[in-house]
Amino acid sequence: MNQLSQVADQIATDFGLAWPKFIAQVITFLVVYLVLKKYAFGPILAMLETRRQRIADGEAKLEKIAKDLAEAEANAKAVVDQANTEASRLVKEADDSAKILAERKQQDAIHEANQIMAKAREAAQLEHEQLMSQLKREFGRMVSDATARVTGKVLTDDDQKRINQETTAEVSA
Amino acid sequence: MPPFVLAVTRHAESIFGEEMGMLSFLTNSSVVALLVLGIVMFIARKATSNMTLVPNKWQNGFEALVEFLYDKVSDLVGPKVAPKAFPLLATLFVFILVSNYFGLLPGVGTIGFGHGNGFLSLEHVDRPLLRPATADLNMTLGLAACAMILWLVITIREVGVWGFVVHTFGPKGGLKGFVGMMVALVFLFVGVLEIVSIAIRPVTLSLRLFGNVFAGETVLHTMSGMGGFIGSVLAPLPFYFMELLVGLLQAIVFTMLCAVYIQLSTAHDEEHGHDEAGHDAH
Repeated sequence: MNQLSQVADQIATDFGLAWPKFIAQVITFLVVYLVLKKYAFGPILAMLETRRQRIADGEAKLEKIAKDLAEAEANAKAVVDQANTEASRLVKEADDSAKILAERKQQDAIHEANQIMAKAREAAQLEHEQLMSQLKREFGRMVSDATARVTGKVLTDDDQKRINQETTAEVSA
Repeated sequence: MPPFVLAVTRHAESIFGEEMGMLSFLTNSSVVALLVLGIVMFIARKATSNMTLVPNKWQNGFEALVEFLYDKVSDLVGPKVAPKAFPLLATLFVFILVSNYFGLLPGVGTIGFGHGNGFLSLEHVDRPLLRPATADLNMTLGLAACAMILWLVITIREVGVWGFVVHTFGPKGGLKGFVGMMVALVFLFVGVLEIVSIAIRPVTLSLRLFGNVFAGETVLHTMSGMGGFIGSVLAPLPFYFMELLVGLLQAIVFTMLCAVYIQLSTAHDEEHGHDEAGHDAH
């Protein structure tokens, strides 16, 4: 044991092992260790983790955005398709309505024109009858006057009435 | 005349001499350790001040290093233990690497006090002002001691004291009866061996690192003293490249061994936990 102690002492002397020097070196290393641990490795690892998290979040957001974009495009396409269908339907309905309306207006116009023509025809008929009646009366009077002048006698009311009836019958025929 | 050899002492020299008492701890290697501390702090401060999501070049470089190391640590010790083990392992790697490479700078080991033979010229440097921090057994032993203490803390925090005892001395295989007792005795003996193995880890870790860096320093100094001025420039050149490789390898070896120690002492608990969970499920 004593010999071992002597060997250890010899080694310590040869290699300059001494507690003050040993402790000084330990303190130096521990200072490096503690400072690096607290002020270098910790913040750097935290920064790497933050960056990794950011990248992961960014990737997730990118995927979500791509998915949302695809959904939005699909929705937009569906809306446009639906709008096209609706527009086609509306145009067709408007076309049909316009045709019906035009038909109806045409019918109304024809009907109105017929009515106007009937009224005109009626008025012309009435006027014709009035003129004929007036003509008959005038002609009867003229025939009576002529008869009175030719015969030289004063015609009675019955004669005048009979001549007028005969004249009217002749004119009507 | 034999070639002059720039000898490298096995121990670091006190800057103010051993007789200075309180200041004797300030050796040429501890000065380098303080310089390394300063360099690492400067780079870390430059990289981590005003950090932004879009990094500047310092932050970008440091982040790349941290991310690379974290991935390696996570592969070695597992994702569960990695957050706890990473600061220790990364600090060990960075500190050892910078210390090893610092020793390759011109002037380290060649500027100091000694026997003079002219103005600002020495025939032999007795007390160099700078010595690679990892070429001092105090430093490598200190590193190993810190690593083992923090290894113990991480292990205890991860598996608990009882878990550590069970992991070290507990029988594996789930055998019962007489065979189980015999196996338990064997594992008890294996546990004792494991404790001895753990006890000598700081020694092996520190001597390996010290030996490699010290040997490299010696080779470089020896080569620098050969063949006159031209020889002193050309002869060490290949060995500088070799030392670049050795410096990196030793930083990796030290760090990886510590990672393996952590993995060995903490992985058992996870497996044990899974086994128990599996048994419970059955």
